[in-house]
Amino acid sequence: MEQANEIRLEQLGDVTLFDIRGDVTILSEPFLNEAYKNANNQGANKILLQFEKNAYINSGGISVLIQFLAETKKNNQQIGITGLSDHFKKIFNMVGITKFAQIYNTREEALENMSGGS
Amino acid sequence: MKEGIIQGGAKIKMARRLDERTVEISLPNKVGYERIAMACSASFARMIGFVPERIEDLKSAVAEACINAMQHGNKWRPEARVVVNMNFRDDTFIVSVMDEGDGMPEVPEYPGIVRIIEEEKPTRGLGVFMIQQLVDRVKFNQTTTEGHVVTIEIKLTK
Repeated sequence: MEQANEIRLEQLGDVTLFDIRGDVTILSEPFLNEAYKNANNQGANKILLQFEKNAYINSGGISVLIQFLAETKKNNQQIGITGLSDHFKKIFNMVGITKFAQIYNTREEALENMSGGS
Repeated sequence: MKEGIIQGGAKIKMARRLDERTVEISLPNKVGYERIAMACSASFARMIGFVPERIEDLKSAVAEACINAMQHGNKWRPEARVVVNMNFRDDTFIVSVMDEGDGMPEVPEYPGIVRIIEEEKPTRGLGVFMIQQLVDRVKFNQTTTEGHVVTIEIKLTK
């Protein structure tokens, strides 16, 4: 039952993609923190979180994401989210994540909207 | 039917039926096992005719109730169990999640993401908030002779 996430970082123009494999729970915290540290070392200021479509996300995982958003707000970073099922789009909206991050239907749509500018 | 729910100091009957419309499972008190309750409740709801959107709501609500039971009710004690009782009657799917704790002194209130991020409030009550938002009715803090029960109800919509 041990859970491991794999988060691959990819630079797509001026957007840093976090390709998050696996479920998102409280156990995701060290994986996300490590990825964020690496992204910051590379000077990231636009971050796109890409989840797996069938990922299980619970309140523990959402708490981790909220703490992540708190850090990115302090650092004036722009955050996008993609790959969510309709159910988790609804939940992210319900808990207010959409006040601090924009949800996109596809990676292409996210990159089109996030790339360029300041 | 068992008896013994104590609610607000008064003993009431507990509707924990085990009949042909009821499924009951007992989970180890370990995070991850809530997925078994999610899968089981989803299969049951699908058999009854729930639409996929409501099944997803049910799965998330059941997961949060189980995690709360493991963490706050059973306080992560490895020998404790979480019992999930599911039944369907009168167009309502009812899931009771029982732990071995004493219930919550008060139901925690989710402060909202703006206060968490801008006022650095702790993230608490998120699981409870999600349950409240996803189901038609939820009852917290029912104490029985066997433990504490949270009951969630979700109406059949086709």
